[in-house]
Amino acid sequence: MSGRLRRLGSLSLSLLVITLVVLAIPGARENAASFIDGAFGGRNRFNFYTTLNRSVLIVGMAMSVLVSFRAGLINIGGEGQLVLGGLCAAIVGAWLHAPPLLVMVAALVAAMLAGALWALVAGAFERFAGLPLVVGSLLLNYPAVLFASYLVSHPLRDVQSGSTQTPRLASEVRLPRFDGTLLDMGIFLVIGVIFVVILLERRSVFGYRHRLQGYSLPFARASGFPIRAVHFQTLAGSGAIAGLVGFIAVFGVNHRYIDGMLTLPLYSWTGVIAVLLAGMLSWLTPLTGFFFAALATGAVGIERAADIPREAAQIVQALIILFAAGFGARLHSRRSGDAS
Amino acid sequence: MLDAALLESLPRFITPLLLASLAGALCHRAAVFNIALEGMLLIGAFAAVAGSWASGSWLGGVALAMLAGSLTGLAYALFAIHRGGDDIVVSIGLNFLAIGLSVFLLQLVFDTRGQFDDPGIEAIPRLPLPFLEPVPVLGALLNDQSLLFWFAIVLTGSLAYLLGHHRLGLRLRASGDNPEALRTAGVSPDRLRGGALVASGVLCGLAGAQLSISNVTLFTEGMSAGRGWIAVVIVLMCNGRPSWILPTACLFGTIEALGFRIQGLGLPQQFTDALPYVVALLVLALVTARRRRAAVAH
Amino acid sequence: MTQRTRAPATPLCRLVDVSHAFGPVRALERVSLELRAGEILCIVGENGAGKSTLMSVLYGLLQPDAGHIEFGGRTVRLRSARDAIERGLGMVHQHFMLYPELSVLENVIVGAEGPGRLGLIDFRRRRAEVAALLARFSFGLDPDRPVRDLAVDARQQLEIVKLLYRRADLIILDEPTAVLTPQEIEALFAMLRRLRDEGKSIIVITHKLGEVMALSDRVAVMRRGRRVAERRTTDTDRDELSTLMVDGRVETLSRQGWARERTTLQVGSLSVSGEHGKPLVDNVSLSVRAGEILGIAGVANNGQQALVEALVGLRSMSGGHIVLNGRDIGDDDIGARRAAGLGYLAEDRMRVGLALSGSIAENALAGMESRPAFSRAGWLDVAAAKRHAAELIARFDIRTSGPRQPVARLSGGNKQKVIVARELAAGPSLIIAENPCWGVDVGAIAFIHRQLMEAARDGAAILLISSDLDELFALSDRLAVFYDGRISAQFTREQLDVRTVGAAMSGRASGAVPATSAPVSSAAPA
Repeated sequence: MSGRLRRLGSLSLSLLVITLVVLAIPGARENAASFIDGAFGGRNRFNFYTTLNRSVLIVGMAMSVLVSFRAGLINIGGEGQLVLGGLCAAIVGAWLHAPPLLVMVAALVAAMLAGALWALVAGAFERFAGLPLVVGSLLLNYPAVLFASYLVSHPLRDVQSGSTQTPRLASEVRLPRFDGTLLDMGIFLVIGVIFVVILLERRSVFGYRHRLQGYSLPFARASGFPIRAVHFQTLAGSGAIAGLVGFIAVFGVNHRYIDGMLTLPLYSWTGVIAVLLAGMLSWLTPLTGFFFAALATGAVGIERAADIPREAAQIVQALIILFAAGFGARLHSRRSGDAS
Repeated sequence: MLDAALLESLPRFITPLLLASLAGALCHRAAVFNIALEGMLLIGAFAAVAGSWASGSWLGGVALAMLAGSLTGLAYALFAIHRGGDDIVVSIGLNFLAIGLSVFLLQLVFDTRGQFDDPGIEAIPRLPLPFLEPVPVLGALLNDQSLLFWFAIVLTGSLAYLLGHHRLGLRLRASGDNPEALRTAGVSPDRLRGGALVASGVLCGLAGAQLSISNVTLFTEGMSAGRGWIAVVIVLMCNGRPSWILPTACLFGTIEALGFRIQGLGLPQQFTDALPYVVALLVLALVTARRRRAAVAH
Repeated sequence: MTQRTRAPATPLCRLVDVSHAFGPVRALERVSLELRAGEILCIVGENGAGKSTLMSVLYGLLQPDAGHIEFGGRTVRLRSARDAIERGLGMVHQHFMLYPELSVLENVIVGAEGPGRLGLIDFRRRRAEVAALLARFSFGLDPDRPVRDLAVDARQQLEIVKLLYRRADLIILDEPTAVLTPQEIEALFAMLRRLRDEGKSIIVITHKLGEVMALSDRVAVMRRGRRVAERRTTDTDRDELSTLMVDGRVETLSRQGWARERTTLQVGSLSVSGEHGKPLVDNVSLSVRAGEILGIAGVANNGQQALVEALVGLRSMSGGHIVLNGRDIGDDDIGARRAAGLGYLAEDRMRVGLALSGSIAENALAGMESRPAFSRAGWLDVAAAKRHAAELIARFDIRTSGPRQPVARLSGGNKQKVIVARELAAGPSLIIAENPCWGVDVGAIAFIHRQLMEAARDGAAILLISSDLDELFALSDRLAVFYDGRISAQFTREQLDVRTVGAAMSGRASGAVPATSAPVSSAAPA
């Protein structure tokens, strides 16, 4: 128990320190109101829905990363997996002519497959060439993002619109919104993912092996766990979740794939730090993801009111992570600290 | 394609990679997995522009870049070594911080977004070597190049020598090999690692200065453009040995330079941008695969 | 043996009333000890008696809670290893403190590189100094060789060279013979005696009484953090020392043979290849019957580890076959072997035997998670797993707050109990136990031994690999000695004798006749 308590302690301590630092800035209290409004208010609660939609994407990416980290796999290729997933969803969505439901399902499957495959490429580099996953998955981000950027700038481009984006999705295939709100039903998918992840983790044989393999690889090997299969399935699952998030981004808020729409807001990296701050606890990750989303949109409100650049949110996030690191936040649950 | 213009441009591409890789090498030898080179580069680039603009002299730019870099290294040391934080988490945090801070300050200090360009930014002077002008290849390559280029070359040789022949170099290598043993010998491995981190920050600061007040004289958001990650790969490929890092940095610098050239021939920019990463991935995979096979055979 | 007349040893250093606790555990209680020049002092005690802690205090790695250290009559504070080194202390740790990637020369001089211009190292002078030291003791070490290429005894020589280079007067060695062959031990002792005659003070921490009697001038006995006795070696003997060490509590386990007719494990011509073409395991054949305990003795690094890994399935064999309960399992992976009835008590309990971040329940389930008792169609029965863990805690008397407690917080003995409980609970027909009581307190040792014997009584075949002869002598029905990748001798229980077994361990097979009940040929699987 104390390991978890310690992690929660590091979380609260870092938040406390940051809050105190921020409040110490002159004019902080007055700007607090604009921050709250920026995160949760706005006309017809527009900002609140922005925060919600953003947190859906961040939490989705956080779950993708969580699945890998818990098994001891440092997969930081989420950006590439997310982008390829979103791109595939946009391609299917814009060019497949079929009943709307079929299009959506096909797009979702395509997105998840794309993400899973890209994650497995990084895994293959480790398995067959000994290239450490942390480096391989990171390096693969760049070709993936650049390739998608190329496709969207040239062959797949919606020339009429004048911007680097794919054609707009027909209204029938878009993710429906809840009545009277700006929140689309993508949130159900992410909630579904959270539910499935927690369920598997707690109650399945795979989840048990996955978790203990993350604790100690030599132990898992000696206990007869199918190590390679667990690694393979974990990476595929992690990539598939990232692809799913890409689908939500394309079929939900934006209704198309726009160059940079998935990378500029740093969804993938925010997902990573959300997991770190949550001490890799699956139930806490949605909360930290939401917190970071609110932080980002709230900062826009402060920018409007007090002329402080919105990147302040990013700085605060970075400081939180640095402090969390200083208080024990880790990307793996091993104790002896030996690298696999 | 392999004309004088290409040769002339090579040091511009090589220098930042070389300096950043040397920075990473110092950390690597001390068993610090520093993947915050990208962030350190970015901070260095911004600080160089700010310093040069504010002081009106390139010296001010270089000084501020070195200072900012050392502070970043110090922050890393504080969270990762003094507090025992995980290397990767601290690196992610610092990379995040660099992105946010650079854009934040760009807006706050220069009241602009995207790019800051001003005639008040002084560039790092170049070193003319007129006696080399008639020489075929070397003339184009070495004549009239940035002072930092020469600094990087000299530094490579010095580090290679010092790592083997200086007390600190030996202790640094020992701290990466077996920190516990070093402790029982009465030397603090933590202090050595901290020193390596501060030094790596300084070097990355200089690498950033080369980007922003030598190659060009402006600052763009995201200026480091992944070079810090290429540097990480170079360090891994070369096992942190300066004597191998020099040719490898030259290789990747050349690839980057060629990429620019090929763009002019009509290939989409994204392909040439992706080239260094693909090459890095493939070469590193080959290197690690060979190492693994050699270890098994032994 | 010639008796040398030496000047009486002069006091160099004294530990006075040193106490230290790690949380609630009182590792040292008011220990006083005098260290003298020109003398070899052995400090003996069981695991956990406080010997290593005492030396950590002496070497400045630990600050005592109470008490002080005197040098030449004056109280001194040793704040770090550096202080200790400056006072002439040198220590050879049990786990060598060497830098594998650096050369021999670099290993010696790190931290004491000598004066040089601007901090540069004067390699010529240092090399000459180190070469002189090496020559003086006839160590055949090449100064430019990387340490990762050195064999174990060479590494130990290097450790000693490091001390001498720093002009240590007081040399501490922590369990130096654990990894040496008998010949290497002799060489080490000869050198230590020579150093003593030169006036150094030598302290050897050990638990091997035979060595104490052979080597030391004086011996101090530690037990439960106290120095309970001190003798001149000539005034005492092994029996007295052993009684002092163990508190007079010698548990005599009633021993009968439970060996049955059926052969559980049959190993034929097993070979495991190693580096440079030299096999780690060379054509080994053995068999274990149900209910029988076959002990494997041998100095560490003679191939026992490779043998175990090949049997368990963590390493591939280059030849031979393994038959378990009549079935050839040579091609099975470790999961399949476990399913076929193999249980494994790994030596490395922190990394292999346990997942430290996990709870007792999680650790207890490993290897059995896909069994029908605990899962159905891929879904775990979490309640059943917890119940199972609770049962094991009760049955094995594991001191813990409950099945959900993380295993890391348990004591060494209780950690080992979790491993033993898990492996035995699966009901294996073959148990491979590797040093099962290493680093475990005396009470838990007796408990674990009892559990193993009960398993044998119930029909399990046990292969016990251990570096502890007392453990092997107490438990084994038959004993095989491993030397250089081969079985150099086999003994029945009646034939067990320390001297002959010791000789076999050092390669000098004394011609012990293999017992008739031990089939050695590689019979085809039944």
